[in-house]
Amino acid sequence: MRTITIVLLGALLLTAAPVWAHHAFAAEFDANKQVTLKGTIAKMDWINPHAWLHIDVKEADGSLTRWMIELGPPNSLLKRGWTKQSVPAGIEVTVVGYQSKDGAKRANGRDITLPNGKQLFAGSSGGTGAPYETK
Amino acid sequence: MSHRSLRLVTVAAALWITATLVSPVSAQTRRSPTTAAVKKWTPPRTPWGDPDLQGSFSNTSENGTPLERPEIFEGRKLEDIKGEELVAIKREAQKRTVENFQGPLHAPDGWWQPDLNMTKGSQAWLIVDPPNGKIPSLMPEATQRAAARAAARRNSGRGPADSWEDRSLYDRCITRGLPGSMMPAIYGNSYQILQAPGYVTIVYEMIHEIRVIPLDGRPHAAASVRSYMGDARGHWEGDTLVVETTNFRDEGIYRNANPATLRVVERFTRTVSDTVKWSVTINDPATWIAPWTFSMPLTKEEGPVLEYACHEGNLGLMNILSAARAEDKAAEEAAKKNGK
Repeated sequence: MRTITIVLLGALLLTAAPVWAHHAFAAEFDANKQVTLKGTIAKMDWINPHAWLHIDVKEADGSLTRWMIELGPPNSLLKRGWTKQSVPAGIEVTVVGYQSKDGAKRANGRDITLPNGKQLFAGSSGGTGAPYETK
Repeated sequence: MSHRSLRLVTVAAALWITATLVSPVSAQTRRSPTTAAVKKWTPPRTPWGDPDLQGSFSNTSENGTPLERPEIFEGRKLEDIKGEELVAIKREAQKRTVENFQGPLHAPDGWWQPDLNMTKGSQAWLIVDPPNGKIPSLMPEATQRAAARAAARRNSGRGPADSWEDRSLYDRCITRGLPGSMMPAIYGNSYQILQAPGYVTIVYEMIHEIRVIPLDGRPHAAASVRSYMGDARGHWEGDTLVVETTNFRDEGIYRNANPATLRVVERFTRTVSDTVKWSVTINDPATWIAPWTFSMPLTKEEGPVLEYACHEGNLGLMNILSAARAEDKAAEEAAKKNGK
């Protein structure tokens, strides 16, 4: 009984308190367009209010498509263990995220897997309305 | 920028330099020790004798704490929800939040801990007065004001993102307002308090805002002078810094209050060496039937507050407008298709 009460409380607290981020995920990205992108880092923009990772993704015909991945702000990334050295140009990474609503080659990054298998959490928006968050 | 603003900026810069050059002398209280003083922790003083509140603070761990008392705690006092019960609530909130983020996307284990730790949250809700933990009822004119604002927005013929001007002041890197600028978000919850004789300055990480609060008893600016963060005046009541802010603008006003009558009174009290209690009383007789107060601790953290230059690359705003145009186009095409 006690456990049930606590679980209910947790649910209550969460629904009562919106998670604020700099902007709403749903205004910019499509929760139904999950993408997994394998590409080579072209550059990392350590800028506010969100950092952007630029990667070149190889298409089936061998051509390269440049994607821009929205990340959290530099301060947050730093606190989560990102440094300039973690994302140098030229390394291959796998990015999981959600594509922008306008269909451009932009995505909200969730996590990034480095060549050594290490994962970095990129999440830049809370309360995304992404499918797994509305359950 | 007006001459007055320029002068303020210059004074602020000079004060900042002064404050950083003056070494933080841990001058103990000048009062003679009494029994009460022995029991109560006494904050250090600045070299010029004010209570010393300076440092970098954060309220990240209060993220997820609801403003009002959840119904399940009806009849209970905030101070009675503590110890194991409070820890269990916070741990569950943390667990659920982490699980929400993980989903099928596998955020790495432990990423949450250093960045956003709800388990350190100190209270079950934020409102301390009235004692029932609820925002007092709205005045009839406040309900009408909110309805009029909503109707004006609806009747403007504008969508949610026709232009950048339709987006919130927060989306636009302008401000989170007051008390919004110190409400915990998922990141950017660092605040730096700096003092100089006659002034207290607060640097807010998110949006990169700075408040310079004069303590010299000067009157508020004329009612016609309004700003997003309002016009702040401070004074000391014992060891507590009391800051009264008025002269708000209509845009971004807190909870649909009346900008002409809203008076936000903040109290900053250093309760122990690493904690400043931030207490906020919302007074607006044109909006609520009674004033109400919420409070939370600000806890010292490793500084300094890194620069969050919000306009540096606010591509999100452009992308939001672009997403809205794509949706407009899709809706237009769908309408054409249905019309045929």
